[in-house]
Amino acid sequence: MTTQTESMHPPATDLVIGMAGSGGDGIVSAGESLIAAAAAEGYHAMMTKSFGSQIRGGESSCRVRIGTSALHNPGGILDVAVALNWEDFLRFGAELPVSSQTVVIYEKATNVAPDQLPLGGVHPTDVFAVPIEEIARKAAGTDLAKNTVVLGLLAGWFDLAPDAILRGIRKRFAKKSAELVQNNEKAFQSGIDYAKANPLRQARPLARVSRSTAGLMLLDGNDMCAAASLFAGCEFFGGYPITPSTEIMQYLSREIWRYGGAVLQAEDEIAGIGAAVGASFAGKKSMTATSGPGMSLKTEMLGLASIAELPLVVVNVMRGGPSTGLPTKPEQSDLFQAAFSGHGDVLRPILAPTSVADTFRVTVEAFNLAEHYQTPVMILSDQEIAQRKETVDAIDTSRFEVLHRRVPTGAELESYERFRATESGISPISHPGMQGGNYLAAGIEHNDKGDPTVSGKIHARMNEKRFRKLDPLRHRQDLFAIEGDADAPLALIAWGSVAGVCRESLARVRASGLRAKLLVPTLLWPIAEGVYQDFLASVQAGLVVELSHQGQLYRMLRMQVDVPRGLKSLTRSGANPFLPSEIAQRLEQLAIDLQSRVSDQKGEG
Amino acid sequence: MTTVQLTSKDFKSNLKPIWCPGCGDFGVVQGIYRALASIGRPPHEIAFVSGIGCSSRIPGYTTAYGFNTVHGRALPIAQGIKLANPELLVLVAGGDGDGFSIGGGHVPHAIRRNPDLTYLVMDNQIYGLTKGQLSPTSACGLKTVTSPHGAIEHPVNPLLYVLSYGAGFVAQATPADMAGMTAIIEEAIRYPGFSFVNVQSPCVTYGEDHQQVKAHRTAMKTLASMGHDPSDRMRAFELASHYGEQLYTGVFYRNPNPPPTYGALVKERQAALAGGLPRERILESFIQR
Repeated sequence: MTTQTESMHPPATDLVIGMAGSGGDGIVSAGESLIAAAAAEGYHAMMTKSFGSQIRGGESSCRVRIGTSALHNPGGILDVAVALNWEDFLRFGAELPVSSQTVVIYEKATNVAPDQLPLGGVHPTDVFAVPIEEIARKAAGTDLAKNTVVLGLLAGWFDLAPDAILRGIRKRFAKKSAELVQNNEKAFQSGIDYAKANPLRQARPLARVSRSTAGLMLLDGNDMCAAASLFAGCEFFGGYPITPSTEIMQYLSREIWRYGGAVLQAEDEIAGIGAAVGASFAGKKSMTATSGPGMSLKTEMLGLASIAELPLVVVNVMRGGPSTGLPTKPEQSDLFQAAFSGHGDVLRPILAPTSVADTFRVTVEAFNLAEHYQTPVMILSDQEIAQRKETVDAIDTSRFEVLHRRVPTGAELESYERFRATESGISPISHPGMQGGNYLAAGIEHNDKGDPTVSGKIHARMNEKRFRKLDPLRHRQDLFAIEGDADAPLALIAWGSVAGVCRESLARVRASGLRAKLLVPTLLWPIAEGVYQDFLASVQAGLVVELSHQGQLYRMLRMQVDVPRGLKSLTRSGANPFLPSEIAQRLEQLAIDLQSRVSDQKGEG
Repeated sequence: MTTVQLTSKDFKSNLKPIWCPGCGDFGVVQGIYRALASIGRPPHEIAFVSGIGCSSRIPGYTTAYGFNTVHGRALPIAQGIKLANPELLVLVAGGDGDGFSIGGGHVPHAIRRNPDLTYLVMDNQIYGLTKGQLSPTSACGLKTVTSPHGAIEHPVNPLLYVLSYGAGFVAQATPADMAGMTAIIEEAIRYPGFSFVNVQSPCVTYGEDHQQVKAHRTAMKTLASMGHDPSDRMRAFELASHYGEQLYTGVFYRNPNPPPTYGALVKERQAALAGGLPRERILESFIQR
């Protein structure tokens, strides 16, 4: 690129790169290098990975977004597409959308002509058929260095932190051999040289960012959830491996022992939650994590923890369902399961994080609610958040309060009743080892003391108690984020990973002059009717945006809240991400529809 | 851990058992009171976990911390309790359906972890609480309401089951011999590791005559009287294979060199890894350097 072109176009502040290849191509590892380098330079960065479900081989892809300001989602249409082969690239469909503005870089050996790209009629202006494999062999003596060549190409064309990438390469291969370091340095430089020799039609360098990287973290949602659980005082984890939640157990299997805790990798999902219920009964903060099919198996145990009033945090990292469904892709289709699975009258709080950073707050909150209200609490994460890596600014943990279960005082132990009727519905909870606190915990209904009963009268009273204790939750305004214009007629409601897409859509439409607002619930269940009523008071049209076929939150809102007629459900099954631009367009259309409604009414009048 | 002077009464709760008069479980709970009194751990240091079934009512009839859980899952819950607080004395109880049908998959894994807990199965070869259906230990040919033409499956042999998965303590008892049963339960609790006692506890309502306490008195044969050496595992297999034909009572197998328990290994690991970043600084490990 030349100085001349740079002066003609302001540098980009945001770059979305999508790459796909076969399992062995090292595409994801290139993404890892890229995001680490971007983070080291102080950029905000985010990476999502997507795979076929094969363990080796098969297709793999990643999407890296790098920006000069905070990012809320992995981005929409790609600015740069890298295809090591087209078959694999196209398998990701809507996950890697290409427009005519996208710079397309692909392996020349695929023998696809630049004007014959299999992109459904899209003809990008900047297309480069690069002999990536050949360059790799020439520079490094092996096509294993293809991904390093790709890094060189990206660094060359987009001025993407070349020094930091090079440092990363050295660090990564230093553990192996000096020869590998040298070969990969050469491969990287060859990529840069190729890019310099074949400039883009319009240079698109990424603007530099100057901010302190002190305390800047780079991690994914599963690691954040696991680390947050330790911060919150978790001392026991019981679980069974299941994609895409397993990294939570993996992290805790490494770390929890340092804090006097233990992980039990159980023989099945039921035993995993069972052991966690047991540890909670014994007085420890405990957690289990799974995904949809595992959650189905755990359900009976949720009922036990509810009636025995035992604190427990249950994480469901959602993937496409039902059954094995789409095990490696995100979906928001387990909300009904979280709220309604299990038999009997029961209310379990459900929380959802919207990002990796948010997963810290939500996990700590889940433990606080579980311990304070003596109930299982569900965290609904999803594959995107759980496995996406993002830069997270330093979190001041001293701002977070950590709550503990209310244990009986010495005086209370003199005449202890485990399920004593209290005004709040919360009864002090003892645990084995505590003299005078002895009681029978049970799945069978019990009286105040804990003794089994079949009395309908007592059952009704205990049901009332178990629901009443959770009443204050409905008034937790802090578990809802509201952004935009307070009195706007247009609204979005979104939760989980989709909330980040809607944040960007909202910013776009407001920048273009629309009055609109967004509600993001952290607390999905119970429905805080008052919060929704207040938010919806000014709303004439809007969308509840969800990555599922049914739109489960929308339907739950319709059950419990008097929603305006103009509030509709915008849904899509998993693995078909929403783009910030399309939701913005929908809002703009809703605004035009509202205008015509106003003019129709005037005409009728 | 405390040991104090205690009697059976200290372990008897105010709840009146709802078992049928003559149920074998009355004897079992008496044996448990006596064994616990002899061991001397106060009730609040004991966690007594059960599943679902007639026999799973048993924790409520003791003064220990009880947990009457869901069907078949007592063992996983008990292991969570023991890991959370290794100082507790943990007892697990349930029926043959709880342990060898719906919960059968948990038994091998409890054994291979070797937690220091005692698993008492009150084996009556029938589903009593649901009124007389076929159980996993029912004899082949047994006619019940769910096998009106006679069972065509063969029973599980609980003794061989736990022996073959490597349990370090395997015994069988009957309330027909209170002193013997009490001694076996006590020895099981004292065994450092996973211990299993199959108690032939008759169902007075749905059981057959030859399965009742009275019949046990004449049918039972103590392993001690046969000169069985409980450290002889192969002989234990041989004797255990007569389950369903011959009522042997006593200790089939007791590992003479008990391996370290799950709890001990966990403690060792915790000690070896102690001293990470304080909890409030846990995120520092993710900082980019």
